[in-house]
Order: sequence, then C-alpha cells, then structure tokens
Amino acid sequence: MIENGVAIDDSFAEAFPMKATRLIITAHNLTWALNAAVSATGFATSVIACGCEAGIERELSADETPDGRPGVSVLIFSMSGKELAKQVERRVGQCVLTCPTTAAFAGIAEGEAIALGKNLRFFGDGWQISKVINGVRYWRIPVMDGEFVAQETTAVVKCVGGGNLLLLCRDTDTALAVSEAAVAAMKALPNVIMPFPGGVVRSGSKVGSKYATLSASTNDAFCPSLYGLAAKSEITPETRCVMEIVIDGLTEADVGAAMLAGMRAGIALGSAGGLLRISAGNYGGKLGPFHFHLRKLLAAGAST
Amino acid sequence: MSGWRLTLRQAPALRVDMRGVLPAAVVGLSSAQIEQVRVGHGNALVPLGEFFTVKADDNDDALVFEGDLSRFDRVGWQMTGGRITVNGPAGHYAGGCMGGGELQVKGHAGLLAACEMAGGQLTVEGDAGDFAASTLPGSVDGMRGGTLIVKGNAGARFGDRMRRGTALVFGNVGDFVASRMVAGTIGIGGQAGAHVGYGMRRGSVVFTGATPDIAMTFVPALVEARVFWQLLARDLARHGGPFAQLPARAVERHLGDLASDGRGELIVAR
Repeated sequence: MIENGVAIDDSFAEAFPMKATRLIITAHNLTWALNAAVSATGFATSVIACGCEAGIERELSADETPDGRPGVSVLIFSMSGKELAKQVERRVGQCVLTCPTTAAFAGIAEGEAIALGKNLRFFGDGWQISKVINGVRYWRIPVMDGEFVAQETTAVVKCVGGGNLLLLCRDTDTALAVSEAAVAAMKALPNVIMPFPGGVVRSGSKVGSKYATLSASTNDAFCPSLYGLAAKSEITPETRCVMEIVIDGLTEADVGAAMLAGMRAGIALGSAGGLLRISAGNYGGKLGPFHFHLRKLLAAGAST
Repeated sequence: MSGWRLTLRQAPALRVDMRGVLPAAVVGLSSAQIEQVRVGHGNALVPLGEFFTVKADDNDDALVFEGDLSRFDRVGWQMTGGRITVNGPAGHYAGGCMGGGELQVKGHAGLLAACEMAGGQLTVEGDAGDFAASTLPGSVDGMRGGTLIVKGNAGARFGDRMRRGTALVFGNVGDFVASRMVAGTIGIGGQAGAHVGYGMRRGSVVFTGATPDIAMTFVPALVEARVFWQLLARDLARHGGPFAQLPARAVERHLGDLASDGRGELIVAR
C-alpha cells in the first residue's frame, strides 16, 4: 500500500491496558500553570523506569477551569492503580504544591478514587482546612504565597498505552520534520499524550537482549548504523533515519484516532518530504490485547 | 405514580407531631389508609384524617399540604427521599434530621428548621425562626449536610454547631449566627445581628450585604484565597438572589474565632 509515495506496512501496533487519570492544574497565569505541568510530567517517558508515562494534554482557558484561572490538563498513565496513586502523590506534592499560585483538580469524575490532596494536606501541619463544596471535598493548605487548594481525590480509569508509529525517513532532517508534524497533528486531539521528549523516541526497542538481565534492548533491525551488520535489517540505503512516536490514550478509539492523525500528517509530507515508509511496533500480537492495524486505520479514516 | 394532596380541614386545638408522615411511608397506601396514619396531637395519637382531607394527585409521589400548618411540627422529620411541599407556613422542626429528598415550605417555618439536617434540601420561602440549621437541644452536632435555603429572614442562632452542608438566608439573620460552628458554609444576603461567628472553630460565613460587626477575636486575613473563593462563590451563585453575582465580587476575610479553634472565616463580599 503506497500513499503519496509512502509505503504503509501491513503491520500493527500492539498496545496494553493501563490505568490513567487526568489532572487539571490551574495557576495565576498560564506561564505558571505550564511550569507546574511541565515539572509534574517530567521524567515520565516510559513506565520501564519512570513509574508512569505523563504529558500535557492541552492548555485550558480561564472559562474551562473550576476556579476561573488559566490551566493545563495533564494525563498520567501507569501500569497499576497503586503505582499511579504513588506517582500522582509524588508528582503533585513535589511539582504542583511547590509551584507558585497553582491549584490541582481532578479532570475525570467517574472511576475509582485515588488520593490527590488527601495526603498532601498533612503538609499544612494542622493548619489545613477541608471544604466540601457541592459534594466535592477540597483541601486548603497554607503556603507562603497564600494557600494551595487541591481536590481530595481524582478518578482512575482503564486506558490504553503503547500505541505507536515507526516513521522511516530519508535522513535526520526529514525524520525530525515528519515526526514533528505527526506529533503536532496528534496533540490537537483530546485524551492522548505522546510521553517521550517532544513526543518522539529514537531508541525504539525490541523484546529481549543478549544480556539475561535485560528484558528489552535496541531495535537493531531499524538502526541505520547496523545496516549490513545486523542479521536482519529494515534499513535500506534510502531509509537512513527512523523515529518512533508512542501514544497513550484514555480509550482504544483515542489511540487509533491519534495514530491516524499522525499517519495522515506524515503522508501529507509524503516521499517528497522524506517519509518513505510507516511501520509499527508489535510483539507478534500475543502480549497486548489492543492491535492497531495501520492499513485498517487508514481505510476506516478514509470512509469517515 | 401519583402523589397526594392533603388539605387542612381546620386548625388543630393543640400542636401536631407530623413525624412519620413521609412520601416513602405512604407509598402503596390508599387515601383511606393514609387518613388512618396516626400522628401525635397533644398526648393522644389521632388519625391524620382528623386534620386533613387526602386526595390523590398527579405530582410524582410527592406529598402536598394545603393550609396553615404552623401548628404542625416535624414536617419532613428524618425524611430520606421524595418530595414534600407545604403550601403555607409550617411549624417547628421542619426538615429536622432530614437525610435526603426535598422539602419546600411556601410560607414561614417555625423554630429549629433543618436542625441536624444531614442531606437533601429544605427551602423556606418565608422566614425561619430561631435555631434554624442548628442542633437539637443538648446535642453536640448541628446541621451536618444538605442545603437549607431561607428566602426571607432567619432568627437567632442560625447554624449553631453546624458542621457540614450549606445554609443560606436571602434576608437578615438574628444574633449569634454561626455560633459554635464546626464547619460548613453559611451565606447571608442581608444584615446579621450581633456576635457573628461566636465561638466558631472552622467553616465559612459569607456576607453579601451589609458588613457585620466583627468581634476582636477575629483577625483580618492578608490574602484573598482566590481559588477557594471562586470554588465557593460559583457554587453559591447557583442559588441566585443575593448570591448570584458572588463570583465577580472581591472579598475580605476575617479569621477566627480565636477564642476557639480559630480556623473559621467571615467572608465579606465587597
């Protein structure tokens, strides 16, 4: 299947069930809401070593937030509800509570509740005040710029993590341009984040390693520096730079929609723009219950 | 499902205790059976039919009372669901110990309206007497949930020992509003009497009208607590009247009562 000179692999991305929550972080102005959100979603590229995958979903105007101030909505994904609760507490406690003028609210109402301000309140050393407003409990914790207000809990929902696209490009410049365009298209969609730096990962991995202690290692088949050396390579003299985009979303449909938007953005640049082939990472389909077939996504997208 | 309309025949000689006359208690009963429900009248138990004519009505399982019920106490007492409307005044303890549902009094309510209320909503279109949203005599906790709205004025000791929920007065309140308050929200549209927040430990009292006399045991707050204020003001604005414009108004706060825990706040909208 060739679209605008781009070969679309008959392959699929394999994704996994995860647990997620959305936080609304507001502040005196957008700058400080972003400072908090960037900090709270830092070091959250992969659950392998970060404990969670997190990113900024979108910026919120003052009329979209509970307290009428500008804000940012943030999505945090983890492999279990327990780990997610731990990450939310640490990240909000260290990165939002600490950030000037911020407040933190749940961005999802339905689902199992995990602590948001519930345990952070003890920072108030007895001066904290609980307030129930319209059935929702908030904590007011005195801090040096006034008070930090946090909703007591946020809700956890089941979600989908690990949707991905592999963009095989002509060279570094075009690979960056194509992946930036794809990430920009995906960021326009709700309910998804691309957790890696700038949304893009260059160290795609395969399952297993020659070292017994490693469960994953570099995806040598896509490494241009191993062309001609690795026993099996997907690299050709024309495709010399590969980027991957990983997508976590609240539902299967959200991840599928983001992958479609990313592919379309890449195809729009086409082979003239340096994108020669789109593939996806999977583990043979046996590990993850969610399969996103690239050609099926494009076919379904074309009919809508 | 149909509801019931109970029309007062004539004012009773003594006070009537209406506990037990609730929407849930009369489900499945005929009008004749409802007329046989016993209520306290002085020291006797008397069939409800002595005081009211009972007619089926198409108002969705609600009980509607017609007439002057100012001698009828404990209307909606311990109500947990459904709807009661009193098209006229009600006696003492209206909505007392309510856990849910909706009670509407189109006239005035007597003493201790919504005392120890835990859920649901009581709306008094007229005035409420003393000790509304407060505690039963000798009890430690006052109103602990739900919403009380008094469209007229309220008497003294409004919200005494209140610990959760929202109690709003569109008009004036008497002395000692929010006395010994533990937590919760009180809003006052008009003027408040003397000794506001006397001995309050926590909780928020919002004054949208005249600035009350504030005791020396309250300290002016240096910060506005804007986030909290927006959350609270937007919620109160739902109830309209003097609260409708609250989110747009700046506030000054006074913290106290330092004679007690001191974490309460009197919020004066400017």
